[in-house]
Amino acid sequence: MSTAPISPTGRRQFLAGAGAIGAAALMSGCVTSSSSDAGSTGQSSGGSVTLQSNLSSPQAKTAMEDLAAAYNKRGGAKAELNTVASETFRTQLPTYLTSANPPDLLTWYPGSVADAYAKKGLLLDVSDIWTKGELAGYPDALKKLCSDSSGAKVFVPASYYWWGMFYKKSNFAKWGVREPRTWDDFIALCRTLKSKGVAPIGLGAGGDTAWVASAWFDYLDIRINGAQYHRDLLAGRHSFDDPQVHKVFDKWAEVLPYFDPNGTALAFQDATTAMLNNRTGMMLIGTFFADAAPKDQLDDIDFFQFPIIDPSVPVAEEGPTDGYFASAHTAHKQQTLDLMSYLATAEAQEIYLKGSSGTSLPTNPKAKDSGTPLVKKGRALIEGAADVTQFFNRDSSDALQPTADTALTKFLAKPKEINSILTAWQRDAQKIWSQ
Amino acid sequence: MAVLTAAGRRATQGAGRGGRTTRGSGRRATRVPPAVLAFVLLPLLAEGFFVFWPALQGFYLSLTKWDGVSAPQFIGLGNYREMIHDTVFHTAMLDTVLWLALFGGLSALLGLGAALLLQQERRGVGFYRAALFLPVVFSLTATALVWQAMYQPDGLINKTMSGLGLGSLTHPWLADQDTALYAVIVPALWRQVGYVMVLYLAGLKGIDPALYEAAKVDGATMWQQFRHITLPQLRSVNAVVLSVIIIDSLRSFDVVWALTHGGPYHSSELLSTYMYSTAFQSLRLGYGSALAVVIFVLAFGVIASYLVRAFKEAD
Repeated sequence: MSTAPISPTGRRQFLAGAGAIGAAALMSGCVTSSSSDAGSTGQSSGGSVTLQSNLSSPQAKTAMEDLAAAYNKRGGAKAELNTVASETFRTQLPTYLTSANPPDLLTWYPGSVADAYAKKGLLLDVSDIWTKGELAGYPDALKKLCSDSSGAKVFVPASYYWWGMFYKKSNFAKWGVREPRTWDDFIALCRTLKSKGVAPIGLGAGGDTAWVASAWFDYLDIRINGAQYHRDLLAGRHSFDDPQVHKVFDKWAEVLPYFDPNGTALAFQDATTAMLNNRTGMMLIGTFFADAAPKDQLDDIDFFQFPIIDPSVPVAEEGPTDGYFASAHTAHKQQTLDLMSYLATAEAQEIYLKGSSGTSLPTNPKAKDSGTPLVKKGRALIEGAADVTQFFNRDSSDALQPTADTALTKFLAKPKEINSILTAWQRDAQKIWSQ
Repeated sequence: MAVLTAAGRRATQGAGRGGRTTRGSGRRATRVPPAVLAFVLLPLLAEGFFVFWPALQGFYLSLTKWDGVSAPQFIGLGNYREMIHDTVFHTAMLDTVLWLALFGGLSALLGLGAALLLQQERRGVGFYRAALFLPVVFSLTATALVWQAMYQPDGLINKTMSGLGLGSLTHPWLADQDTALYAVIVPALWRQVGYVMVLYLAGLKGIDPALYEAAKVDGATMWQQFRHITLPQLRSVNAVVLSVIIIDSLRSFDVVWALTHGGPYHSSELLSTYMYSTAFQSLRLGYGSALAVVIFVLAFGVIASYLVRAFKEAD
């Protein structure tokens, strides 16, 4: 009884301080129970398929709504779209997949990142739908990309896009500069732009989008060390403090003086605006930025290939594929599979391209892209590449991404400390790989 | 729930005493009515299930290596051993202490100051009280979004500074490791001051005006009145304020997460944000749980030692 006055406070402490471990523990209960019984009872029919989407920029969101409406009009199974802010989605995805009542279908990426989830038994095996309908006619490269390491298909691709150095045509004309091909040309271009009082390179690795800086790491690595080395590095077969990785940062340091000083303070959406408002000259970004940009500016936008550094390295490009995977614990298996086959059709992919900014490319070989000069140039870039990588997190895992964010933002602020940064990166990455 | 347990406790006490004294005269007094038993057991069960069990499980998880999906793997004190050499943990620990001192200390001082200024009933004083209290009403995440816009490189703060001719001081406040933590403390303080002010206002209202009158008669200065009457009389409120500040400091998470995610490169990392990112982004739930246990021990240690001392003084 003497402890009675303390106990209410003690309880509050439990809630305040240890609330999260409580949540984690509860989650563990949910996870273990759900994985055992959801499989057997998960065949109930009725209710619509929940499609959790991270396509939250205005144009992409409308396009997804059009797509869901078109599917629902066909009769049969119904889809219910649930759009989540993309940065929230990214951080919450593991929680969605491990929850007791997960969304049926989710937007995400194929390759290593999907395999990491598949290995944990979280993804639905969709090999069946790949054998029939339009999916059967997909190219072999995509079939391989959408399989997990055991060979089962776990993913349905919908579109892909490319990364490039984007700029405004009118600005380049005004400044009297042209697209560079090689690294030396690129440095010369940066020097010219800087002499004209413009910050040559915008970044957009601030706010919620620190991951954008990984594009620079990816590209420099695949240009200097090649795509295979890059994939091996991300899979833990090389170390981040290898001399090869040091070379990547030596090259990066050559252009660091030309980066916008606000590069790590602005999120990519704001960095895009800065470029469109002529405050920065160009930026390395994926075409998804166009979904948040004003449509009338799109005609003035062009891009060039990330400069070639070592001509002896086969040219690889980042061509991330987007699409869908389904939760292994879905309660609407048949309907989900039906929706997934629909999303792979040319009809569905064209509806999406029409509603969005139309800067991505459909994965269905029979679907038509939007046909603008920009898209034609992008398609040529990817089709001409000797190898295609996805992106840092897609070629590794979502858990490894924060280690890169920390290392790269620190490098951008303190390039001289690169030795300790890479040692720390390797140590952090090791903790993730050994998980 | 507290009321229920209190009632239940009194009932069991009564029953116990009855049992001891009236051994021969009958069993009726010793029988606890089932309804009363239910009053005790149900809350206990609920609390056990929702609070103690998860907390214990959390402690167990801190002894494991767990990715949230596969079965947890027991590794003993490995996570705690890792903490000793984890530089990020050291930064987070230091930042948490800094946060406790700055956020806690300043909110207590400013809150007390505001309460002293606004305690007199003058015309318009209600407006100022409401204005200071208003930030408490807003969600901290929403608050953070507004502040984030103000801290932008071309946001309100930098624009105002260049307007005042202080252009050389403009800064990417949240993106610079030297300013990020302090830039995050400001919005948190902005909110907490109003809350602490209300607590102190209530305390000041409870002081007997006769004490001040007597002091004035004796010729005490304003400072002497404050030092020898106001401060001692506020002792009970201080206990509340201290607990509130420590709890709020250690659980500060939303505003930091919304503004910087603990970055850039961990420079504004608190134990709470580090716990979250390790557990739910890196999916190292074992290590995350170990961090949570550390937070719990810290909070519980500080509060318990304070309460023990407070009760000793009260006796």
